[in-house]
Amino acid sequence: MEKKDVIQTLDDIRDMMAKSSRFQAVSGVSIIVVGVYACIASIFGYWVIGAPDTLPFLSGRQDVFQLNTPYRIRLACLLAVGLFVLSLATVILMAYAKARRHNLRFVADKRMLQMAFNFLLPLAVGGVLCLALILQGHYGLTSSIMLLFYGLALVNCQHYTYPVLRFLGYAEIMLGIIDCFSIHYALLFWFIGFGLLHILFGIFYTIKYDNVK
Amino acid sequence: MIAGFEHLNKAFESKIRLGIMSVLVANESADFTALKTLLQLTDGNLASHTRSLEDLGYIRCEKSFVGRKPNTRFYATEAGRAAFADHIAALESFLKNQKEV
Repeated sequence: MEKKDVIQTLDDIRDMMAKSSRFQAVSGVSIIVVGVYACIASIFGYWVIGAPDTLPFLSGRQDVFQLNTPYRIRLACLLAVGLFVLSLATVILMAYAKARRHNLRFVADKRMLQMAFNFLLPLAVGGVLCLALILQGHYGLTSSIMLLFYGLALVNCQHYTYPVLRFLGYAEIMLGIIDCFSIHYALLFWFIGFGLLHILFGIFYTIKYDNVK
Repeated sequence: MIAGFEHLNKAFESKIRLGIMSVLVANESADFTALKTLLQLTDGNLASHTRSLEDLGYIRCEKSFVGRKPNTRFYATEAGRAAFADHIAALESFLKNQKEV
C-alpha cells in the first residue's frame, strides 16, 4: 500500500463520517416559508407603525401614533414572539415530514441537541439584550441587534450542518452592522434580512441539497 | 513492510465495508436506505457487505416495520468500534513512520 492510498483512505473515512453526521433534517422549503412569514410580518409591522388609522381596532387611539406607547410595544413584541414560535414550529414540523419521506427517524440525537444549543445560545442572549433595551426605552437598535445575533447564531452552528449556512450568517451580520448606523429603515432591513435572504437561501438550499430536479 | 502494518484489518480492505463502518461509528445507527444513499450502492451489494460485517460481529441489525414497510437498522457493536479504531490507528502510525523515514 502506498502512502498516497493511505492518505486517500483516511480522507474517505473522514468525508463519510462528516457527510453522514451532518444535520440535514431541515427542509429547504421550510426556510422559504419562514422567509415569507417574515415578509408578511414586516409588512404588517409597517402597517401598524406607519399607518395606524387603517387598522380598525386602533382607530381613535391617538397614543398609537407614538412608537413608544405601551400598547404598540406590546403589539410589536407579541408579533415578534408569535413569528418566532410559528417559524420554529414550521421548521420542526417540516423537518419531521422530510424525515418520514426519507424513511428516517426524526429523533433528538446528540448532534441535534448540540446544534440546537449552539444556535439558541446567541439567539437567547440577543433576545435578552433586546428585551432589556426595550424595557429601558431604547428602540432604535432592536432590529440591528436581532439581525446581528441571528447572524452570529447561524455562523456558530455551521459545523453541525452544511457549512454554507455561514454565508447566510455573514449576510445577516453585514445587514445588522449597516442597520446600526442608519435610522428610520429598521423595518426595511428586517424585511431584507429575515424575509428576502431566507427566501433566497431557501431556494438555493432546496435546489442544492434537497435533490429537487 | 513497516511495523504496525500487521494491525490493518482484512475486513476493512474493502472500501465499502470501511464506508459502512465510518457511518455507523460516526452515528448512533443508520437504516438500510440511508446507508444505500450515502454509499451509493445497490441493494444486493450493500446486503452482502453488511452480512459479512455482521458475521464478524462488528455490526448488528434490528429489523422492524415502519407502517407496513420492513425497516432494517444497523448499529456498530463494541467490537466493531474497537476494530475500526485499531484500523485507523494502524493507518495513522503507517503515515507517521513514513514521515520519519
